[in-house]
Amino acid sequence: MNRKLIAAFAAASVLGAGAAHAEITVGVTLGATGPGASLGIHYKNAFQLVPKTLGGEPVKYIILEDGSDPTNAGKNARKLITEDKVDAVMGSNGVPSSIQIAQVAFEAKTPYLCLTPISLPPEKYHWTFVVPQTTELMMSAVAEHMKAHGVKTVGYIGFSDAWGDLVYKAMTQLAPDYGYKVVTDERYARPDTSVTGQVLKILAAKPDVVVVGGSGTGGALPHVALRERGYKGTIYHNHGTVNAEVIKVGGKDVEGAIAPTGPLIVPEELPADFPTKAISLEFTKRYEDTFGAGKRNAFAGYSYDGVLILNAAVPAALKKAKPGTPEFRAALRDALENVKNVVGTHGVYNMTPTDHNGEDARARVLVRVDNGAWHLLK
Amino acid sequence: MTGGRVSGGRVSAPRVALGLFLVFLVAAPFVLSEFYVTLMNYIGLAALVTLGLVLLTGVAGLMSFGQQAFVGIGAYTTAVLTTTYALSPWLGLAAGLVLTGLAALGIGAITVRLSGHYLPISTIAWGIALYFVFGNLEILGRYNGLQGVPPVTIAGWTVGSGRNSYVLIWIATLVSLIAARNLLDSRSGRAVRALRFRGTMAESFGVDTARLKLVVFVYAALLAALSGWLYAHFLRFVSPGPFNVNAGIEYLFMAVVGGASSVWGAVVGASVLTMLKEWLKDLLPALFEQSGNYEVIVFGVLMVALLHRTREGLMPAFARLVPVARREAWPAEAAPLARRERPQPGEPLLEVRGAHRQFGGLVAVSHLSFEMKSGEILGLIGPNGAGKSTMFNLVTGVLRADGGEILFRGERIERRAAREIARRGVARTFQHVNLVGAMPVLENVAIGAHLRGRHGTIASVLRLDRAEETVLRAEAARQVERVGLGGQLHDAAGSLPLGQQRLVEIARALAADPVLLLLDEPAAGLRYREKQSLARLLRELRDEGLSILLVEHDMDFVMGLVDRLVVMDFGEKLAEGKPQDVQRNPAVIEAYLGGLE
Amino acid sequence: MTADIVAWLAQDGITNGAIYALLALALLLVFAVTRVIFVPQGEFIAYAALSLALMESGRVPGTVYILLGGGALAAAMEIARAVREHALSRLPRILALYVLLPVVIAAIVWWAVPRKLDQWLQILLVLAMVVPLGPIMYRIAYQPLASASVLVLFIVSMAVHYVLMGLSLVFFGGEGLRSRPFSDAHFKVGMLDVSAQSLWVVFASMVLIGALWLLFERSIYGKALRATAVNRIGARLVGIPANLMGQLSFLLASFIGAVSGILISPITTIYYDTGFIIGLKGFIGAILGGMASYPLAAAGALAVGLLESFSSFWASAYKESIVFTLIIPVLAWLSLRSRHVEEEDE
Repeated sequence: MNRKLIAAFAAASVLGAGAAHAEITVGVTLGATGPGASLGIHYKNAFQLVPKTLGGEPVKYIILEDGSDPTNAGKNARKLITEDKVDAVMGSNGVPSSIQIAQVAFEAKTPYLCLTPISLPPEKYHWTFVVPQTTELMMSAVAEHMKAHGVKTVGYIGFSDAWGDLVYKAMTQLAPDYGYKVVTDERYARPDTSVTGQVLKILAAKPDVVVVGGSGTGGALPHVALRERGYKGTIYHNHGTVNAEVIKVGGKDVEGAIAPTGPLIVPEELPADFPTKAISLEFTKRYEDTFGAGKRNAFAGYSYDGVLILNAAVPAALKKAKPGTPEFRAALRDALENVKNVVGTHGVYNMTPTDHNGEDARARVLVRVDNGAWHLLK
Repeated sequence: MTGGRVSGGRVSAPRVALGLFLVFLVAAPFVLSEFYVTLMNYIGLAALVTLGLVLLTGVAGLMSFGQQAFVGIGAYTTAVLTTTYALSPWLGLAAGLVLTGLAALGIGAITVRLSGHYLPISTIAWGIALYFVFGNLEILGRYNGLQGVPPVTIAGWTVGSGRNSYVLIWIATLVSLIAARNLLDSRSGRAVRALRFRGTMAESFGVDTARLKLVVFVYAALLAALSGWLYAHFLRFVSPGPFNVNAGIEYLFMAVVGGASSVWGAVVGASVLTMLKEWLKDLLPALFEQSGNYEVIVFGVLMVALLHRTREGLMPAFARLVPVARREAWPAEAAPLARRERPQPGEPLLEVRGAHRQFGGLVAVSHLSFEMKSGEILGLIGPNGAGKSTMFNLVTGVLRADGGEILFRGERIERRAAREIARRGVARTFQHVNLVGAMPVLENVAIGAHLRGRHGTIASVLRLDRAEETVLRAEAARQVERVGLGGQLHDAAGSLPLGQQRLVEIARALAADPVLLLLDEPAAGLRYREKQSLARLLRELRDEGLSILLVEHDMDFVMGLVDRLVVMDFGEKLAEGKPQDVQRNPAVIEAYLGGLE
Repeated sequence: MTADIVAWLAQDGITNGAIYALLALALLLVFAVTRVIFVPQGEFIAYAALSLALMESGRVPGTVYILLGGGALAAAMEIARAVREHALSRLPRILALYVLLPVVIAAIVWWAVPRKLDQWLQILLVLAMVVPLGPIMYRIAYQPLASASVLVLFIVSMAVHYVLMGLSLVFFGGEGLRSRPFSDAHFKVGMLDVSAQSLWVVFASMVLIGALWLLFERSIYGKALRATAVNRIGARLVGIPANLMGQLSFLLASFIGAVSGILISPITTIYYDTGFIIGLKGFIGAILGGMASYPLAAAGALAVGLLESFSSFWASAYKESIVFTLIIPVLAWLSLRSRHVEEEDE
């Protein structure tokens, strides 16, 4: 048995190491199964639409499944880096998974385009570039809207996971600047069948508005429960919730829900001079042509934008080294840090050595559910 | 896979397999690519936890879905200490082991006593409960986890890369494997293996089963914590996700697929599952256009198919390929064990005064009294359901009497636990044979000598018990010879015919060096010649000063053997006296012989 | 905490508890008859709920493919056995049961979906699709292992759970769905505003529990099931076919699961993986009831529902921790109480 194993291992390692590196290789790990599947599927879908060249060079995408599990995500990242010798890593759809990949990318000195908003200690950002808008940036749109409407107290209910934590943290951090108080921190799990207890607690606190920190259709459950129990205030969501399914599930109850999102959810309604209008419109159209009408979502846009950012950085890196080498990875990292005015589906990216996200207020809009669809809130 | 000397002077096949495995482990970091070394690290981490499960579930029969929680405690403890408090990882290891040990003691004290299906469910319950605790505690970084766990350093050498971690992880795994193997191959190990279905039997030979279960539980938890510590410093990031209930189920998967009855099954299971998932990840996207999403389906189908083929897991299937070496039983010169001082013949030995026991409305033993003198063979007979076995169980402490007194050598024992009575020199056999089927005859018999040894789990892990072990085995082998099964010393007990299994039971009881031997239907299933030699053996034993209380159906066997008889019917004493007198007693003829029709 | 909050929480707990009670009964039945800890019970909930929601939106649910594929696989296994045992006369029955029946059901579903039939007819179709999956599953995964240990059967359950959950994700997608309520009515009961749907849940659970009781007490199949549960070997000796009983218990389990799914799909969002945790809580309920008595199992499940509801009010982040931690002392108490001379088997 041992001999066979050795043979198998040896064969496998030879095969893995033998891949030629004439082209640029991008390794992707995503969780299209497991608890994060509803997001991961969209992230993964987008890779059917991404450009087949980067900076004019052919590119190969190697996409691995991590089942939304951080240990697996880390394992995949190591595999992509050491086995497939990728030039950059992308992924994943979950905060812990992404932090784990960032750790691996840091150790292995490989540029990492993170597709989930995470926060890292400053030195760990060296190799990591976060594509999505920070949660603070997104939720500040909500906070502005609340301030404009004189909101003083906010009830919060969110997922009992990293996402729920992230949105809650953003809301409490923004609170002093926008003059409101977060009065509840209720949590629920996506598969929960009832949130009656949490909703009663919120009602007892009588907040002016409620913010829901769920994602996807998971945002509907507390919203519907609040309305059923007669809550009249505005209910805000976050950018994770904005898709068509949540309206299908929530029905009439989610009318009037307000959420921040990237502009690609409502490209048709953007003003003509909106910087991302053309590219958002084009991507959304292609996505819905491929995967069905009404399937537009923010997550696919992050994958797409990640590739666009790479595309912008590759030419500079190619001048310094050949793909598949540590020198190229280092050059790519340097180039990524200096990309300017990359127009993506979500926003305009301007990286600097201290800002590895590079998005500004152009990367967010507020949308509201009117007549069974998300519309730009003007 | 064996210790001790190997017969025939040539190297045994399992040793070759083990040697190859070790060669592979040593060579791996030099020949394998970076990623496969990394995969080996994951395998080692999983094998550690699975090893605990093999001991807990496969050997001791305690099913647990909660190991991932102990991995989590180990990982989080060191992560908090090394990041927030910037302490040494070694302190993290110590603290993690201590904390896990305490947690396991606390949880185990409640849960290992649970019977049947309460145990697995309670392990699921605390597994889930701890997961949410990990996710909600601010100090543990909530669901975002703790970043920036430093690598381990050993005397200035930093265990940073995958290859360095490999060394650390596999040294830990190998040491744990050897420790586990040592444990199973010892006095405590035999008792652990007896735990699975034979709790009553183990107690009857002086094993404190509740304590032993707790020891195994804590040991498995410590292995999990060790894995957690290695995990934290290898992956440098700890979050709640890897410690949810699915992870616990995954470990159990590995144990079952690998073969939960063998310590090497842990390595096989961890390797096969890890590699299989990795290969599926590469293979399936090539087969299906759309990548992902199918792995879990194919994985599940393969698992069902595998279990349809081999229920015992892969390790027994591998083991069948490799002929098992027979170890020499004992060096002939092994010193005999010290023997108990025996009472003078004719001294009062056992006194039963009005013993009473009922099950619900059914009176099994009704105010029964009889006496037994040292050095006699007393037969306890009666029709089926007369209460003979219940009486046995009352004397040996397996059941507790509702009323009455039982005195052994003048001391009241009716309130004592089985293992305390065993300590006083009472040994027994069981009506339904109570052997650990997969274990060799020799080791089954050695369980009988449990109380004659004293080395515990730690000594056996460190192999400090070898001298004693040799003596115990020698004693066991002597008793096996004595009952005439010298040729079957190394056969699995379950493979013997039923009659011979009863003889193994007698040998096991004799290995306890008893003053009083209780035999429950020893002649059932024996052929005529075997009965003859059994009767001869029992007479010899009596002549050596042993007292024997015998329940038996075979009248010819009983009448020729016993000194006196007590006849029971419906829980009451019908008659008492010498065999000839009892045989002529009309009440006995009516109730007993009449009942045979 | 005010009285109306208590009342609300109680109502919520009872609604969820009623579902857990149904599942507890199914799990108990399957365990007693086959010794299988039936983890995939939860999948029937998801399959039924998601199929119903998809049919309502005018799409053919993937369940029909699972039914057709599962039936074909089971038929192949049965035919292989028939050939091995030279019993080709079984072929027509095998084909009718495992091939023809699923094909007919699938055909009706395909015909019915675009016509957007009445909700009750759709529910019947969902039952027709999901319920046969139980016996098919038993045939494929469990029957060949009928004599294996509880541990092995459990691991098989987990593997089957993975397969079904994976299929569920492929066919239903990662997002949740919710079906239309049977009725939008609300009743004022004191200060409570009770939705008709939650009354439906409680009412249907009670009816089903009553029906199960009747089945066990009155029908010959029920008695055979009970006999098998009490003593498996004895039942075989008196000529009760173990495989038939296994399939029957799985049939009841899939029926109960499907009904539960249909009942809750209008009051919550169901995901492809929702079933597992609901099934687990049902199982906890069954255990609290001592894994032996049906009324106690139902009471245990109700207790889980209430505990969950109240702890979601007190400390929602720790809800599961509270529910699962409080169960341990209860388990310990139950275990000590039910202590008996150990079962000796290997």
